[in-house]
Amino acid sequence: MLKLHDLSKIYRTDEVETVALDTVNIEIEAGEFVAIMGPSGCGKSTLLNIIGMLDSPTSGAYLFLDEDVSGYSESQLSNIRKHNIGFIFQSFNLIDELTVAENIELALLYHNIPASERKSRVATIMDKVGIAHRAKHMPSQLSGGQQQRVAVARAVVGNQGLILADEPTGNLDSAHGQEVMEMLQGLNDEGTTIVMVTHSPAHSDYARRTINLFDGHVVTENLRATG
Amino acid sequence: MFNNYVLIAWRQILKNKLYAAINIAGLVVGLAVYIFGSLLVNYERSHDMFYDNSGRIFTAGSVFSASANIGVSETVGIYTAIAPFVISDIEEVEQVARTVHREFLISIEDDHYYEKIKFTDPALLKIFNLDYIEGDESALENPLGILLTQSVATKFFGETAALGRTLTLDHDVTLSVTAVVRDLPANTHFSSTILGGGGFKVVAPLAALNRASDYDLAGNFNNLSGGDFTYMLLPATRSREWLQAQMDGVYESHFPEDTREFITGFKVRPLVEANTILWDAIGMPVLDSVRVLALLVLVVAIVNYTNLATAQSLGRAREVGLRKTMGASRGQLLIQFLVESLCITTISMLIALAVLETAVPLFNSFVDRALTIDYLVTLPWLFLTTIAVGLIAGAYPAYLITRASPIEAIREGGTRGAKGNFFRSMMLGLQFSISIFMLAMVMIVYFQNEKIEDAANIYPKSQIISLQRLEIESIQARLPTLRNELKNLAAVEQVAYSSQLPYLQNNSSFGAGRVNGDKSGAFNLTEIFIDEHFIDTYNIPILLGRNLTTAIGNDTVVKGVLDANVIVNEMALSKLGFNSPGEALNQVFYDFPDEREPRTYKIVGVTHDQNFMGFHNSIKPTVFLMMPENLNYASIRVRGADLAQTLTEVEQVWNEIIPDYPMQSEFLDETFADVFAIYGAMTQVLGGFAFVALMLSLIGLFGLAAFMAESRTREIGIRKVMGASINQIVRMLIWRFSQPVMWALLIALPGAYFASSAYLNFFADRLQAPVGIVLGAGVMSVVLAWVIVALHAVKIASANPIQALRYE
Ligand SMILES: Nc1ncnc2c1ncn2[C@@H]1O[C@H](COP(=O)(O)OP(=O)(O)O)[C@@H](O)[C@H]1O
Ligand SMILES: [Mg+2]
Repeated sequence: MLKLHDLSKIYRTDEVETVALDTVNIEIEAGEFVAIMGPSGCGKSTLLNIIGMLDSPTSGAYLFLDEDVSGYSESQLSNIRKHNIGFIFQSFNLIDELTVAENIELALLYHNIPASERKSRVATIMDKVGIAHRAKHMPSQLSGGQQQRVAVARAVVGNQGLILADEPTGNLDSAHGQEVMEMLQGLNDEGTTIVMVTHSPAHSDYARRTINLFDGHVVTENLRATG
Repeated sequence: MFNNYVLIAWRQILKNKLYAAINIAGLVVGLAVYIFGSLLVNYERSHDMFYDNSGRIFTAGSVFSASANIGVSETVGIYTAIAPFVISDIEEVEQVARTVHREFLISIEDDHYYEKIKFTDPALLKIFNLDYIEGDESALENPLGILLTQSVATKFFGETAALGRTLTLDHDVTLSVTAVVRDLPANTHFSSTILGGGGFKVVAPLAALNRASDYDLAGNFNNLSGGDFTYMLLPATRSREWLQAQMDGVYESHFPEDTREFITGFKVRPLVEANTILWDAIGMPVLDSVRVLALLVLVVAIVNYTNLATAQSLGRAREVGLRKTMGASRGQLLIQFLVESLCITTISMLIALAVLETAVPLFNSFVDRALTIDYLVTLPWLFLTTIAVGLIAGAYPAYLITRASPIEAIREGGTRGAKGNFFRSMMLGLQFSISIFMLAMVMIVYFQNEKIEDAANIYPKSQIISLQRLEIESIQARLPTLRNELKNLAAVEQVAYSSQLPYLQNNSSFGAGRVNGDKSGAFNLTEIFIDEHFIDTYNIPILLGRNLTTAIGNDTVVKGVLDANVIVNEMALSKLGFNSPGEALNQVFYDFPDEREPRTYKIVGVTHDQNFMGFHNSIKPTVFLMMPENLNYASIRVRGADLAQTLTEVEQVWNEIIPDYPMQSEFLDETFADVFAIYGAMTQVLGGFAFVALMLSLIGLFGLAAFMAESRTREIGIRKVMGASINQIVRMLIWRFSQPVMWALLIALPGAYFASSAYLNFFADRLQAPVGIVLGAGVMSVVLAWVIVALHAVKIASANPIQALRYE
């Protein structure tokens, strides 16, 4: 699905230079469930942002679906992104002024899909993640777990093949965290590729592969026995 | 410690130069308008404070009954016959002086001047102390004495001493100069051009007026002229209320019964109010409105500042968080932010004062005022204003940012924030409606002015020198000689006499109709008296028929002539019921006078309808006739470019033929400019207001756009992650921010349309497309608004979304 080759990311601010990623080589197949772990500040989010094309690498190559996207313009990247990648954030990042349904619909809004089809797809996905009864609620009226389910629904409503989740359970208690993980598991079973940053070993167990980052380097890659 | 605050504030300003500049610009406008408004009102309300007796001088005015229906509730003076009763009835009044102004021809040997003279009782000089260069305060006790101000004395007599020199009024009464005083300053009611009263330049005793025109020294109950006062000097122990009671007594015992229905009493006022009586009399609180409006402008500027500063402070949440972790108390943070707004306000105040230092002298020379910013007196007030504005403007952003988490404060207080947004949008909508309205009006007035100027060019106005005040009998007799001599000048093409000049008002008309004696069919026919050269001089095209000429007896109309040949315009034709000029030629119509036989007018020529008389008059049915008695104006059409030289030659001719009167000349261009001045001034005043309004609302919009943009960076980040393009986001933001502007359009455009229609109704020849112009103003405002919003929108839409989503 995607391939990072000798990829580095350096942040330069005034006189300080931070090497967030240092010649990283990663390959992820379609249908994989990958967990990224490592201490705070080791470059996990940076890696996820680059995979998600929200940020560009300082050097190295990035192949997405066998296309080298390194030199692509912002609008080209945006186009690839909106059709292929869904995001889930630690802090949910729902828009407070929009209802649950409208928040989910947002992911289809920029796809040139007629309103009626948008509505029906939103309804389907809400059923699937079990928040249909909350469709007209505002995000602030929902629990954290429910909000994150909305975020998950938003991430996949556009039939995105790749989901990037940055500490999706970080703001949730363990029961709700469990729920979200099971949803991701379900999506992966249906064929969605998932790359997830987490601090929780329990949650990384859902992944088939774990990549450990330290100071911008990939230190180990563990493959969990399929079972 | 304080220095530290100022230093940090200064760094903040430097760091956000654009925001600071916009904030400062807004406050400069607000402060300048506010200070200027206050200065102006204070100036108008603090006239006449410099006389020694200022606190003891009172005036009495007349209060009109509501049924008098003359548009004003009072006038500045009382009948001149009252003063003698004041002297006899109110013993404690120390001095009483009336003033009556008249215009006279003043001659000093062979030099002649038309001057307004203030005639008064000698006591005037006891009431008002003046600065005597020659003579003293007894000057007017000589019934044939006259007092001049220095500038007039210099004009009359040059630099030599004027005392004892003589001058004559209307070639009749000779007066001798008994005093010369320094010119009065601008801030006395004597100098007011609004009040009238003829200024305080030439002052003579009423006794001289008695000699010159049989003025009854006892006064009368007939005349109440604007600007004519009765002044009273009281002992220091007596108050306004006391004098009012005394004057009520005078009214009761002496005011003529048959006039009481018209004038219901006297109103005593202290001298300081003399300058502003007219504002009270018209019943409109003009000066208070100026003050309130000026304050309003300042308030709007403060609100704009608050909006922008709040928006800006959202971006500084982290700085505040950091400072708090470093141990800064909330109080210290508050002070930090208030110091910042105080710095901005101080800078704005200094710039505003600099602006005023250049603007006020311009204003003074423009409208004959003498406003000054007296820093000795106003410094504490300016200082307090700065502090107050700084604190008020900075309070909300400072409060907001120093709360626990400002971002949260904005977000979580959803309902309150929404209300705040609504208020902001309302304010902005209001500001925008005002500026769109003003802009539309400025454009309407401007284009209408252009049209007037164009229309005025049907007459060769740049080639015409007019001579005025020819009505004096002895001048009338010399007009033919004057014309002949003027024609001898190389530069003079034509000379014509008439009762009327183009562009000037004229109300002379008579009832005319087709059927002799049938008054019911009569209509008002405007008459213009001309000579045989007039039509040529002004290039007035004769559509059919011929010009008038002295060769044909009936062309000239004098008393007793009952068959007159005349020229009429097309409008008069249709009023008379003729369908075409051909049909009307050589036909007759009649007038219907009470005091003589009706006259028969035969139409020998027809002209186009031209707007002869100014512009707020519609074109009227008009008749041109040769009536040699009423020719008050000469029109000299000249060729060549050196008008000044020609004018000098014309004056030489005048002085040879009419040495006993001064020539009163004006280029027709100037006559037009005078009539037109009020419209020109209107454009300028409206333009000034429009500039202020538009500037403030654009700054307001900038602030609001910045605020909405800052508080929505996260939402925009999310939308970008969802695949929204920069274009889509910019469009969304523009649409959202445009809403207050759209509301403003809805309010302002119909308003501007009605106001402009009302304005255009003053003109006969009016703009055909006010709707287009009004819409144009709307479009201009919207485009300006969009540009400002787009600048913000592009900036935040291009930002990398992860910045917005990262720190939560
Ligand atoms: N926009 C940025 N500017 C400068 N440094 C950054 C920026 N984003 C991240 N970094 C730095 O890069 C490193 C990796 O950050 P990040 O990927 O967020 O780590 P993680 O998600 O693993 O906690 C950190 O040292 C962080 O301070
Ligand atoms: Mg992270």
